[in-house]
Amino acid sequence: MVMILFAALVSVVFGMVARDTGRERLFYGLKVFAEFIGIGIALAWVLYFLPF
Amino acid sequence: MAIKETKSVAEMPQGVRMNPWLIGVAAWAFPGAGHFLLGRWVRGLIISGVVCCMFVVGMLFGGHLFGLGGQETGSSRLLQLPPTIANLGTGLIYLICWASNSGFSDAAEYAKLATFEYGNTFLLVAGLLNYLAMLDAFDIAVGRKP
Repeated sequence: MVMILFAALVSVVFGMVARDTGRERLFYGLKVFAEFIGIGIALAWVLYFLPF
Repeated sequence: MAIKETKSVAEMPQGVRMNPWLIGVAAWAFPGAGHFLLGRWVRGLIISGVVCCMFVVGMLFGGHLFGLGGQETGSSRLLQLPPTIANLGTGLIYLICWASNSGFSDAAEYAKLATFEYGNTFLLVAGLLNYLAMLDAFDIAVGRKP
C-alpha cells in the first residue's frame, strides 16, 4: 500500500512536469506509475530469493 | 468557477511577467507557488497538494528530517549533506520545522517504528519533487516550456 501511494504521488508530479499536453501527461503519469509498481514487485521477488 | 490556465509566457501581458529567479525562489519556498505566480493554478494546486501530502505522510510515518547541526563529525557529517539538501527542497516547511525543532528527533521511539524508513523516504522525495517543480516553474518563466 505504501509503495502504491508513493508511486501514485511521484507519478502525478512526473506527469505534470514532463509533458506538454494533458493527454501526454496522463499517459506518461500512468506509464511511470506502472513502471514503479512493476519494478517494485520484480525487485521484491529478486530480494526474496537472495540469501543475504 | 472555471479555472483557466495561461497557455504560455509569451501570451502573458507585459505587466504580469515576473523575474524567473523570483518565481524559482517562490517555487522553492512554498510548493506550487511558482506555478501560481505564472497563472498555472491547476498545476500549482496539484504539485502543492502532492508535495505537502508526501511531507505529512512522511511525518506521520515517523520519518526524520536531516540537518547539519547534529553531533556527527568528519565523514559522518559529510554523509548528512545529501539528505539535508533533499529535505531542504521543501523550502519554508523545512525551515519552520528547523526553527521549531520538530521532525529532527532521531530518538529510539521513532527509529523503532516499522514505517520509520518509509517516512524518511517520503520526506526526502517530497523535497526532491519540489526541486523538480521549481525547475519546471523556472523553465516556464524563461519561456523554455509552453
